[in-house]
Amino acid sequence: MSSASLSSSSPGLRIAADVGGTFTDVAVFDEDSGGIRLGKTLTTPSSLIEGMNHGVGKAGADFADARLFLHGTTVAINALLERKGARTALVTTKGFRDIYEIGRINRPEAYNLFFRKHQPLVERALRVEVDERMDAAGEVLRPLIDTEVEAIARRLLEEGVEAVAILFLHSYRNPDHEIRARNIISRMMPNAFVTASHELSQEYREFERSSTVAANAYIGPHVTRYLSEADRVLSGVKFHGKLLIVQSTGGLYDAAQARRECIRMLESGPAAGVIGTRELCAVIGLRNAIAFDMGGTTAKAGVILDGVELTANQVMVGGYAEGLPIQIPMIDIEEVGTGGGSIARLAQGKSLRVGPESAGAVPGPVCYGNGGTEPTVTDANLLLGRLAPDLFLGGEMKLDVDGAARAMTDQISGPLGLSVAEAADGIIRIAVTQMANVVKRVTTARGLDARDFAMVAYGGAGPLHAVLVARELQIPRVIIPNAPGHFSAYGMLVSDLRRDYVRTLFARLADAPFDSFNAIFRELEQRGRDDIDEAAPERLDIIVKHAVDMRYIGQEHAVTVEIDSGAFEARDIDAIKAAFDAVHNQRYGYASNDESAEIVNLRLSVIGVIAKPRLAPLDAAASASADEALIGVRPVEFGVMGGRLETPLYDRARLLRGHRLTGPALIQEYASTTVLLPGDVLTVDQMGNLDIKIEVQP
Amino acid sequence: MTHGRTSQDPVTTEIIRNGFIAATEEMKTNLMRTAYNMIIYEALDFTVGLFDQHGNTISIGLGLPMFIRGMSETIKAKLRHFGPDGIHPGDVLLTNDAYTTGSHLNHMTFSVPIFDGADLIGFSACMAHWQDIGGTLDGMTTDIFSEGLQLPIVKAWRAGVPNEDILSVIRMNVRLPERAMGDLKAQVAAVRTGEKRFLELVRKYGRFALETAIESIFDHAEAVSRDSVAQIPDGTYQAESFMDDDGIDIGRRIPIRVKIIVAGDQMTIDLTDVSTQVKGFYNSGQTAGLSAAQVAFKCLTAGLELPVNDGAFRNLKIVLPSGTVVSAERPAPMRWWMTYPMTIVDTIFKALASAVPTRVIAAHHADLVIASINGRQPRDNKLYLYLGGLIGGGWGAKHGEDGMSATVAINDGDTHNGPSEQVEAKFPLIVERYALREDSGGAGKFRGGLGTEQVVRARHPIMFNAQIERVDCRPWGLFGGLSALGNEVRLERGGELERFPTGKVLSQKIEAGDAYTVCSGGGGGYGSPLDRKLDDIENDVRQGYVSKAAAHEFYGVVFDGQGRIDRQATALRRTDMRRRGLPKDRPFSTEDHSGWGGCPYCTKLIQPHPEGRAMAIEAAASGVGAWRCC
Repeated sequence: MSSASLSSSSPGLRIAADVGGTFTDVAVFDEDSGGIRLGKTLTTPSSLIEGMNHGVGKAGADFADARLFLHGTTVAINALLERKGARTALVTTKGFRDIYEIGRINRPEAYNLFFRKHQPLVERALRVEVDERMDAAGEVLRPLIDTEVEAIARRLLEEGVEAVAILFLHSYRNPDHEIRARNIISRMMPNAFVTASHELSQEYREFERSSTVAANAYIGPHVTRYLSEADRVLSGVKFHGKLLIVQSTGGLYDAAQARRECIRMLESGPAAGVIGTRELCAVIGLRNAIAFDMGGTTAKAGVILDGVELTANQVMVGGYAEGLPIQIPMIDIEEVGTGGGSIARLAQGKSLRVGPESAGAVPGPVCYGNGGTEPTVTDANLLLGRLAPDLFLGGEMKLDVDGAARAMTDQISGPLGLSVAEAADGIIRIAVTQMANVVKRVTTARGLDARDFAMVAYGGAGPLHAVLVARELQIPRVIIPNAPGHFSAYGMLVSDLRRDYVRTLFARLADAPFDSFNAIFRELEQRGRDDIDEAAPERLDIIVKHAVDMRYIGQEHAVTVEIDSGAFEARDIDAIKAAFDAVHNQRYGYASNDESAEIVNLRLSVIGVIAKPRLAPLDAAASASADEALIGVRPVEFGVMGGRLETPLYDRARLLRGHRLTGPALIQEYASTTVLLPGDVLTVDQMGNLDIKIEVQP
Repeated sequence: MTHGRTSQDPVTTEIIRNGFIAATEEMKTNLMRTAYNMIIYEALDFTVGLFDQHGNTISIGLGLPMFIRGMSETIKAKLRHFGPDGIHPGDVLLTNDAYTTGSHLNHMTFSVPIFDGADLIGFSACMAHWQDIGGTLDGMTTDIFSEGLQLPIVKAWRAGVPNEDILSVIRMNVRLPERAMGDLKAQVAAVRTGEKRFLELVRKYGRFALETAIESIFDHAEAVSRDSVAQIPDGTYQAESFMDDDGIDIGRRIPIRVKIIVAGDQMTIDLTDVSTQVKGFYNSGQTAGLSAAQVAFKCLTAGLELPVNDGAFRNLKIVLPSGTVVSAERPAPMRWWMTYPMTIVDTIFKALASAVPTRVIAAHHADLVIASINGRQPRDNKLYLYLGGLIGGGWGAKHGEDGMSATVAINDGDTHNGPSEQVEAKFPLIVERYALREDSGGAGKFRGGLGTEQVVRARHPIMFNAQIERVDCRPWGLFGGLSALGNEVRLERGGELERFPTGKVLSQKIEAGDAYTVCSGGGGGYGSPLDRKLDDIENDVRQGYVSKAAAHEFYGVVFDGQGRIDRQATALRRTDMRRRGLPKDRPFSTEDHSGWGGCPYCTKLIQPHPEGRAMAIEAAASGVGAWRCC
């Protein structure tokens, strides 16, 4: 495998597969032709890898010709959410075995007497204490006794434990005890998956770190088996290239790293979409963009600012109220339970609500005719004429307009005294504001002005709602990439190798121990370079990014500030403080220039740059008129945006570079439909993206 | 069913409703992220909200439930004080008057008026707990004057210009002025965010649409409340419970009596017979009493319906004469205002248990279980203040479900504990243990949640003040479920363990190397423990939530030689226990002779008793449960 080359100079295929809950999307880049081929198959839960191979076949490609296989998978997140992980033990500091169950004690649903808090992945009986202790400075208060750990390992063996997570207090400051315990347990339990918290997070907060390492252990055996199965199937289909896995940062790591640190692949699909957006921005020369991804059950938003994706430092898997925190760097993606399958209902008092309940893929919207009875966002779009009933999924699936209309009349429009079209339009408008609010959470709430951004919309339902969401936020430009239903797979094709590190070190900026900082940065950088070397069969260009989490003295929550490493080497306190003040001001609307600040965490990312696929540009159109792509005209209801209009329907496959359209219009493609409102102007750019200009009203 | 104007447009209403929820969420996040004291950023002891021009709540962020009324009443008081013509764009109105906010002086309440042109159309407000507001540092207070700086209703900014006189008065009266000014800045930024978002909604939808939508939001909430109350059988329901004492007359229980009248879709909560105001600092103002009633009402009617707004309470009448412990009059001490209302909420649930058994919940630990600690930082000898504890406790079981363990009391909502790794990095303390308390949950068919305990050792001397309640008066069960263990405080000084029959353990010096422990109670059980499924008990025992001894004594379980449940013998034992009226409930720690529970013989307990310490140690060492101090 390691003989493959990552550079695009040698020919071969680059295959990306995004295995989602419903569909497996495959994108294949052919370095000879510069073309991308696509495949979509239903995900086969019983054998994900076989399904993927099928998808590759559908894209007309063969693993035997591939040099590089980039893989994003929901296997890790599903194992977590469906609680199908291993029998796991948590070994922890004496006095703290319940931290994982106690959590942060909060009740986000403050008035709900039937509120439920998070459910630990490790039962209390398998949470074991070790009489060892460090203090916050990393000094040993009670030494670790090897024989005690050995006795614990023997007990866990008897209990039939398959995975062991280790968390000791203050291991972010001094991991020595964790390392020793891990070595002992690994030696005594050679078949178990053993993981220690500092390997994943060297950031303080014992509950969050416990949860992170426990989740890693819990899914570890599952992911390991999956990757072994992948190896087996891939060699069966004569794949001789390199397998790389997508992380929640959107960066890639190799299978060996993925086996140890499986928790880093939780959100690979959504992250890859944001990376795809970043690359699209680079190709067409955009600095700032909102990545807007809408599928069947959720809408998600991420941000590209100055050409770089924004990242977050923690995620709650399973939602804020009862989720499990995972404390690792990842792309900052906000999510709302609004998707094509979101159900519209009347709450008590005839109040119209949309989602978060979803009809999902099964039974799905009423119009799928698979037993769905409650009207959904997709039904509303169909009733407004924005979806063509006979062209859904390339005509493979006919949609039931009458059924959707009946459900809408009986459940929504009748009781509210509205027409079917008014009710459907209302449902879409409510869904759109909910999605606009999720975009605000990654822009306005971060101190960014959404109006300064273009929106890149993808996912099956993204193009259907994009110009509506953009109008709501006064975003003047929307871009619908090629194959928006496969965009995450495309993002995988353009990703880089990446390793991220965080280390907590509390220090006041004024008397910061710069020698220690620089030593830590050097150590982390070396680890990153070694890891990249391990993953890459050849030398890659390396980019190293430094950042610090800072706060004013007295504050708790810190903000991440990117700092040029030169400022650290030069011990430029003023420059670091000024950078922090600027970030605080942008994010929260004020800065305290006179107040002292402190550093909480050091962050370092090492990126091994993989040459990007160079796509062949689209053929140029003979004229701006897109008449050759016109495939019909149908009535579409635009509600307050223009009423009922006869609307031309275009086939995206026949649109060429330079074609220009003015809304209203629908652009139909295999797995998606783009809606243009009256007055919107669409131009097909040289790469085939639909570049839409919107008249926003101030 | 319809009150006031109704909206013609359910879609716009829903969109505006989402807009208000998003705006208050953003205000909350902003304040949490920028605050300077742990009580705001970790404990989230604050609430933000948007209000109409009369001060009625449109939406409040899900922060602190017990402040459900505080901001609205404070805005109304500010309106009365200045008159609508006395408030101008750019003003920042401020007060911490305990008798207006209903709570303690630490709650600095900021509001800004929102103007559309020349018209006052609403308010954005924020209440947050400052770590220090002056006043005495240790011990008990007996009037408001010893509790710190009292700021009447003032303008901290006048038409956009900071009122330096007021700001300098504040700076001079608080112990940590930099922190205070940091929090002030963060609060003003949060209310400004709310103002901005409110105005964006006005611009986008127009004033008429917005006002119509607000009215529909109120109407909708009202309809939900009315539907919900209409399902409760008509009748008069009463319940009684007790607080341990008022912190002055240690051991003299304080009665809490509530009466609830349900008639059709209307509910009246009558708090006339809760105790009169008390000598120690457990009083709160009228607003807190009203809040307690509203919190209980909201939980029982529509706990998940958002935003929290005043429409939801149109069918709730609250009777609360002045002078009770939750409608105290000046100059009653109020520093620990939050404790009693929590038990009032539980007592309202208890009263309605027979009427709506599937909606109510057994009693919870009903205290924040915190201790005020102060000391000096070893590196610079600077004073630090630390709220020890906030450890979460057990919640009551309910119909069909066990209670939650280790969860913050009902006064607070999205309140977090502090990571031990952070506590140890900031203060010269070592958290030795933070764990679930086995057997602390009330036994029942559905078991109450477990309390927690936290042991903290001082690396340098500290002063320790625990103000904890419900040590003696345990969280009760419902429908035959048993009481849980109550809250508790312990000290370990010079290697000796001290236990107290009360949670008021004030002005205690703890030397380097000594330790304190705070324990939270569990939640009460629901239904007879003899009806609990054996599989559930088996798991309880495996996980250590319930000991074998307790499984035997309270659940009637018999174990065989291998430690497995003997199902046949258990059935026999359960029948026998039922016949004998067992297990017996033990609602008061001081009357519980089965384990250590304070002096069972005194009517008036003295704290600390001159010989109590020695006796407690002796009792603990000998394994004899009860001890006597007299």
